[in-house]
Amino acid sequence: MIARRLLAPALLLALASVAFARQRPTDHGSMVIMMGGEPSTPIPTLLGMKANNDVSDLLFLRLARPGAGRRIADERGYEPQLARTWSRRDSLTLIFELDPRARWHDGVPVTAKDVVWSFARLRDSTVDPARALLLRHVATVTAENDHRVVLRFRRAYPEQFYDATWQVQPLPAHLVDTIPPSRFAGSAFVQRPVGNGPYRWVRREPGRQLELAAVPSFFLGAPKIDRVVVLFARDADARMNLLLDGSVDAYEGVPPVSGPPRLARSPAYRIETQPSFDLVYLLFNQRAYGDRTRPHPILSDADVRRALAMGLDRTPLLHSTYGAYARTADAPVTGAHWTSPLVPRGVGYDPSGARALLDRRGWMDHDGDGIRDKNGVPLSLRLNLFSSSPTRTIMAPQVQEQLRHLGVQIEIVRLEGAVWSARRAGGEFDIDFSGTSMDPSPSGIVQSWTCAGRGGSNVGQYCNPAVDSLLERAMTSTANTPANWRAAYAALQRDMPAVFLASPVTLFAVHTRYRNVTIRPESFYSSIWRWSVDPARRIARDGLGPTAR
Amino acid sequence: MSRWLLRRLLQAALTFAVAIILLFFLMRLAPGDPLSRLAADRAMSERELEFLRRRFGLNEPLGAQFRAFLGGVAQGDLGPSIEHYPERVTSLLASRLPATLLLGGTVLLLNFTLGTWLGVRQAVRRGSRFDRWLTRLALAGYATPSFWLGLVLVAFVSHRWRLLPAAQMIDPLLPLDAGPWVRALDLLRHLILPALTLSLTSIAIMMRHQRAAMLAVFRLEYVSAARARGLTERRVLWRHAWRNTLAPMITLLGLWLPILVSGSLFVEAIFNWPGLGSLANDAIAARDYPVLLGTAMLVSGAVVLAALLADIGYTLADPRVRQG
Repeated sequence: MIARRLLAPALLLALASVAFARQRPTDHGSMVIMMGGEPSTPIPTLLGMKANNDVSDLLFLRLARPGAGRRIADERGYEPQLARTWSRRDSLTLIFELDPRARWHDGVPVTAKDVVWSFARLRDSTVDPARALLLRHVATVTAENDHRVVLRFRRAYPEQFYDATWQVQPLPAHLVDTIPPSRFAGSAFVQRPVGNGPYRWVRREPGRQLELAAVPSFFLGAPKIDRVVVLFARDADARMNLLLDGSVDAYEGVPPVSGPPRLARSPAYRIETQPSFDLVYLLFNQRAYGDRTRPHPILSDADVRRALAMGLDRTPLLHSTYGAYARTADAPVTGAHWTSPLVPRGVGYDPSGARALLDRRGWMDHDGDGIRDKNGVPLSLRLNLFSSSPTRTIMAPQVQEQLRHLGVQIEIVRLEGAVWSARRAGGEFDIDFSGTSMDPSPSGIVQSWTCAGRGGSNVGQYCNPAVDSLLERAMTSTANTPANWRAAYAALQRDMPAVFLASPVTLFAVHTRYRNVTIRPESFYSSIWRWSVDPARRIARDGLGPTAR
Repeated sequence: MSRWLLRRLLQAALTFAVAIILLFFLMRLAPGDPLSRLAADRAMSERELEFLRRRFGLNEPLGAQFRAFLGGVAQGDLGPSIEHYPERVTSLLASRLPATLLLGGTVLLLNFTLGTWLGVRQAVRRGSRFDRWLTRLALAGYATPSFWLGLVLVAFVSHRWRLLPAAQMIDPLLPLDAGPWVRALDLLRHLILPALTLSLTSIAIMMRHQRAAMLAVFRLEYVSAARARGLTERRVLWRHAWRNTLAPMITLLGLWLPILVSGSLFVEAIFNWPGLGSLANDAIAARDYPVLLGTAMLVSGAVVLAALLADIGYTLADPRVRQG
């Protein structure tokens, strides 16, 4: 009886869905994206974590974005977004003509005032010191009329156009210019952002999901993925389970070792691999543990740092953690950076050379306990580890074991997120097992590996003015750029501020019913408005249209 | 009775107050800056962080923080969450509580109906093959880690047989205007696996208690007398024997009730169930003191209330307790 009662509404619903689905264009559909982190503030000035970036790129456009070739120093390779065209007055002045069709999601046109306001906010070092550092070469940003923006630089350098377009996603000045910077994170705008991109904000359920809907009047073309739902699951098993049972359409965190064989049994998905901007490394603290006034008693010696690097065999380390999906890193450069081929070969695995180097520096096992010592101080270091990172958790004991053979004692300190971050920021570590997502430009290196980055991202307090000078030359010279980058990387390698372990490859699972699939390493989902659904392969949820505003 | 009840209420209030005080100060002893994750996730400036430090009173002495917290509690406001700022803690708890109550309530219902019935049947057929096998199965379930069982169920039921969804509480693409029947069916489909996982790993407790209680009652003379009076076996069993096993079962229910609100951390994680357990877990990782205190208050309140209700129920079932 109950079954009969349930059957009638179910049939009605099915019929209604089919009827509704028929009304919609057949290559339109929906998409459920799975993320491990929650994009709680997908606002261009509050990005921080990658999940925020991914969602922000669907809501907010840039003036232009790098083309498929990722030739970020060549402005001819960029695709127009908010700016329809651009030109140069001279080597220091860039002019952007905004597309008059561009609208905020509340219907107000995007104007030069929005761009000027957004640059002013992000160039304020009291608001965002890291971004201000990246925009340090921008002298002025002015509006010549409603649709013309003029950027003037302090000096000529190859990545002017990149800085002008990538670092800033304009915000609607008419909605945010009255919000004081200190109250911005808690403002109503952050709770319900109004963007200018292909998707508009629908709703967010904290800790569960957020939903975006396509903007049919989007000036660059109506999206064919009408509805995008972003799910969060902190548990890695839950994420894979949702993928394997078909509840999810796209997921960029497929585990590199166990994921591909499991997904191979599911014909509904294919795996796209992309070089990522992620970097995993062992960061040496140049200053004493928790005391930045004194040099580190062991690690301030570059030869000791070099010996530790020589004592690590990265090949088995990476293979056990990433399978075939990572490449060895030799500098703070990933496989997705255009300077990747310019990096000189780093120190190789040479345990006997490492032992000899430590001997020469006076670190020998005087008391026969298996641990080297010098003046009564054992060669013992604390390796801080973010315990929730599965890859770093796999690698840490292997690092410990490999260095034990050198006579170096490594104490693994497993810390949960808040404590790990606090200790990292406070310099309370000898070695930090770090992981970072880098900028698409190699110039982003200044945040963590130059003297100017101290007090910000450069938590290891590495500072060598000679390296700073070489990096500055590489970033600003218009001639011999590859040679300059090569020299800067070589100088950095000589100092060995960290053991650069791996640049992982992203394994992106995507449902096979989507067409025109392009995935960009700098922003995985930014092109989904160009994707469509194969009409012959639509599934039930593709018939579900956008929700009401 | 009223004096006893008043005394018991005062004891409950005192227990709750002590729990809150301990929770507040113990949480503050944990290392880690509560704003560090927020700063990393949202790329916030020092100016914004300083504003939030003042907003959350993190620069104040502990005593002042505690006074502010008590003031908020008195007004029914636990302040904003740190991780989900500026979302209010009360609204976060309110949004997660239904999921936890639904899952916990279903498990409780399953355990206390099915568990009771199976326990009674085992006692009736004591020593039989049915009794032996059910005991083995129940104990095997009890010894099985819930996260492992959850993963196995997902592997077969969701991935291999495609019968039920692997995770989530609702279909993320369910239209906002979907009818109540559609919503209820969708909810039911998502509820089955997590509820089954929790129930299979805990029903043994109920079955074993019920079986032991029934066997103890079967030995009593009034059961033999009821049989001698010619009552049907069904009447003897449920009317006379089972009713007298209720007192220890009420105690057990009292112990189980807090699970209704505390949620199950592992099962909520595996099934991405948006309950209070996962909220508390995230709050611990983020040092989100207001949310952590909110969930802890809710759970300690439930424990105290459940103990109080169990005492009252026990007293009603057995007046000797009140007299003692």
